[in-house]
Amino acid sequence: MTMRYRIRHETLYAYADRVDLAAHMLHLSPRMLPGQQVFDASITAEPRPSRMSWGLDHFGNQVCWLFLDHPHERFSVTVQAEVAVGFAPPPVAELTLPWEQVVAIAAAGGAAFQASEFSYASPMAPADAGAGAYAAASLPAGRPILQAVLDLCGRINREFAFRPGVTTVNTSVADVLAGRAGVCQDFTHLMIAGLRAHGLPARYVSGYLRTKPPPGQAPRRGADQSHAWVGCWLGPEHGWVDLDPTNNLVVGDEHVVLAWGRDYGDISPVRGVILGGGAHTVTVGVDLAPT
Amino acid sequence: MAEPAAQAVDEMVDGRGQLRPHWRDLMGAFSMLGEGALAERGRRLDRGFADDGVTSVMPGEAPLRWRCDPVPLLIQAAEFATVEAGLVQRATLLSRVLDDIYGAQDLLASGALPPAMVFANPQYLRLGAAGLQGPKLHLYAADLIRGADGQWRVKADRTGRAGGIAYAQENRRQLARVLPEALRSTGVRPLEPFFDQWQDALRPLAPTGVGNPTVALLTRGTQHRHWFEHMHLARLLSCALVEGGDLTVRNGALFLKTLRGLQRIDLLLRQIDGRLIDPLELDGNSVIGVPGLLDAARAGNVRIVNHPGSAVLEAKELAALLPALCQRLLGRALLLGNAAPADVPSLAPCLTDGRLDARPVVWRVFLMFDGTAWRVLPGGLARIRDDDAEDAPLPGLAKDVWVMHDEQSDIIGPLAVPAPRLALRRTSGALPSRVADNLFWLGRYVERLDSGARLGRAALTRLGRASRPREFEELQTLARILADARLIDAEAVASASLTIGLHATMHAGGAVGGLFANIAGLTEKVRDRLTGDMYASFTQTLRAAQEAAKSPTADGLGNGLLAISRFCTAVAGLASENMVRGGGFMFLDLGRRIERARAVVREVGFVLDLPARRIDSGLMLALELCDSAITYRNRYLNVLQPAPVLDLVLADQGNPRGLAFQLVAMRDLLEDLGSEAGVRELLAGSAAGLLAEVDLVVNQVLNAPDQAQEAALLPSRLRAMGSELDGLSNRITRRYFAVLPATQTVGLGLSQVQGAA
Repeated sequence: MTMRYRIRHETLYAYADRVDLAAHMLHLSPRMLPGQQVFDASITAEPRPSRMSWGLDHFGNQVCWLFLDHPHERFSVTVQAEVAVGFAPPPVAELTLPWEQVVAIAAAGGAAFQASEFSYASPMAPADAGAGAYAAASLPAGRPILQAVLDLCGRINREFAFRPGVTTVNTSVADVLAGRAGVCQDFTHLMIAGLRAHGLPARYVSGYLRTKPPPGQAPRRGADQSHAWVGCWLGPEHGWVDLDPTNNLVVGDEHVVLAWGRDYGDISPVRGVILGGGAHTVTVGVDLAPT
Repeated sequence: MAEPAAQAVDEMVDGRGQLRPHWRDLMGAFSMLGEGALAERGRRLDRGFADDGVTSVMPGEAPLRWRCDPVPLLIQAAEFATVEAGLVQRATLLSRVLDDIYGAQDLLASGALPPAMVFANPQYLRLGAAGLQGPKLHLYAADLIRGADGQWRVKADRTGRAGGIAYAQENRRQLARVLPEALRSTGVRPLEPFFDQWQDALRPLAPTGVGNPTVALLTRGTQHRHWFEHMHLARLLSCALVEGGDLTVRNGALFLKTLRGLQRIDLLLRQIDGRLIDPLELDGNSVIGVPGLLDAARAGNVRIVNHPGSAVLEAKELAALLPALCQRLLGRALLLGNAAPADVPSLAPCLTDGRLDARPVVWRVFLMFDGTAWRVLPGGLARIRDDDAEDAPLPGLAKDVWVMHDEQSDIIGPLAVPAPRLALRRTSGALPSRVADNLFWLGRYVERLDSGARLGRAALTRLGRASRPREFEELQTLARILADARLIDAEAVASASLTIGLHATMHAGGAVGGLFANIAGLTEKVRDRLTGDMYASFTQTLRAAQEAAKSPTADGLGNGLLAISRFCTAVAGLASENMVRGGGFMFLDLGRRIERARAVVREVGFVLDLPARRIDSGLMLALELCDSAITYRNRYLNVLQPAPVLDLVLADQGNPRGLAFQLVAMRDLLEDLGSEAGVRELLAGSAAGLLAEVDLVVNQVLNAPDQAQEAALLPSRLRAMGSELDGLSNRITRRYFAVLPATQTVGLGLSQVQGAA
């Protein structure tokens, strides 16, 4: 099934002191994908940047760089886009490769080298022994990979409380594991770290979740915000399938993909370096409505 | 230290204990020097490095000693040709591998490179799909050891910043000074041609279409252990030496912040960790990088060499793959093999306690890509003590490497190729604002030190015979001046403790001690603007003054103050004789003039602050402090009157110790600095206004019915002039040395994520 959404994502920085010079790197443009078509994507910034440049990052995500040369006290950037999504359903879980075989293929590199990249530790999803031990319960010998990752996704969803405010971006995977609570980023980093601890490729996917659930269903957790979930690699035949541990969902037609990377640090939506500014506040507003 | 394994080759002596033929000339030259002479040359070498500041990270701080053995490592011409060919091939191969890793990634896709070597490597940088233009590897070094079979093999590849080449050049320079006979008798290939070629090779590296590129070397500054190397390298390559804070990216191009505005940089020699060069995209905590630098590089407006991620090739697993990669990419066998972990280095003679000891030696060879071909430095940096440390400068002992001239000139090789014609070069004249700031304050502090020494000496002569009331009064005046200038503690104003106050100020925690430290720090920061001799003279005389000043006796104190005066005179003389009259000298001079003007105004203000009947004593003190007593006597014989004295120390534009001279110099300097018209008028006008005020003041005294009474009114007006000078200094700082707010990274920290689900 394909759904069509209108996205509006606004980020507003308000600075205590004047900012003399600013450079920002945006990962805010939805990615073009086999299951995702993007129409009319636009980025507007206020004040007007003195330079904007576009390109693809290492992972093939759309990046926009903004440079502001004039003093300013506020900076806002708004993305508007229309997107049609309908990702192919996942393969039959029982028929996917035993997870150990996926590990071996990834480690060997060669044709699968692009997936291999996601099997190594990264700064925010480090090789954490605790996460590895937690994930091990979902990885008995010979288990088909998709069964394993679905099981892990479900366990995180059941065993961790969704509680905004108890964690920050600096909270480590180990702390999330100990506290058994967090938000989508924490669950995503935890699941990625757990899979990578066993040599399985897993990637961090950022994007949005539709604001209103389909009729008759419970409200989704993490709507109206930037959302994040896990891309799991099932081997060369089936490639990547996205799982949302926050809502225990297989990504189908309720999610819009912005970008992916090894962890949040690779694809932070609005990253910048400013000269001056002092303390600042950020307000983020996301709206994802079916059209 | 454990004995090296028995099979290690000796560089100098063959298996039968005979001197190898190519060592004969050198050993002959050494034996000509006579008994014990080599050890003496070794000590001179140590002193040479110490005097030129190669030993220390910062003068006055715990020195990181740079030591070079007087006995070089000798490499025969034929042997060097083999190593040269092998390393040129290896560099070519590594370049191709680097191009692929940051390009098509065919080597990964085909399984020729294991994914972990790249993707789990912290030096692999994810810079974006477009990649950066230009050669990725420009400077490369290899650490070689000679194995038991006599063959040189590669122990490690240095592709990140390939450190140590400036030390190799410095070793040669010092060794040539200390052992000229040995160098002559051995027939050694010089290093200069390589550096000349390197400098010329930078031009074609710049973005296409830039005819005369501006090249800058990015350093972490004086506090970093690579400082000497960066400073020296920038000088060897005649390029600008810059810190991240000197640079800014505007509209997709890189600029240097200079006194004359933003100056475009076309080529950046990267000598810092590549992960730190752009906090916008890479390490967000980096405060030494330039936000937007990678955007500018991708846009093709600036080239960065080596490529920010070139250190990925230093992965330990790579060496074993090179034979196969060489076949695959170059279609031939790898010429220069890898050393096995068990291989022991050869032993080279090394001067230890007056005799030659055979010690394990590692040879670092440097290569540079000139846009067409790789060129090898005929020499290098050898090190005793192989600790496999990552970077130079390294602890332990270095050795110069002498590559010998080929005796048989019938070999057709690089020697037969005519040297390319050298292009004309001029160094960039634009002065970074940071450097101007440092020079300005160096000038101020040196002058402040000088005036302190002058006052101290005036006080000391009186302390020795302070029985007469007049001298007691003069001492009090001197103490007040010193206290007002914050050169001694205010409590020391009572003459009884003035000696103690003077001793105290000389120590590290005292005001003069603090000036020593500031001057040493600033000298290091402007080191790339000074000639080697100037730097050596600065630091040597400063150290001598610092040492002398520590003496606890009154005589010692006098000597210390004298040494300080000598240092200040030396700085002034060296600067005016050796520095090109550009921005750099002007700011040093401007700082000195402002400080001296400030001192004269203060001193005259205090000496006149006496009862009118004692004004003679004050006038004489004023002449003494302004070094003008002889001039006065020549002009007016022994008749002391207020107006002539004040004319000489305040208004006479010809007296280099007087106020008017400083004001004229300041006015002219500020006019010459060529800033925008409004600012120039404001700053130069301020100096000119002070000059007019001085004339007015002296004229009023001259025409007053009672000169002494009129002169007694001056202190408050002089104080106002002092404030005006302080204000002028602040305005200069604001105009020329922009004080920037702190940078911060947003979007990676707490605030961005608080709302995220």
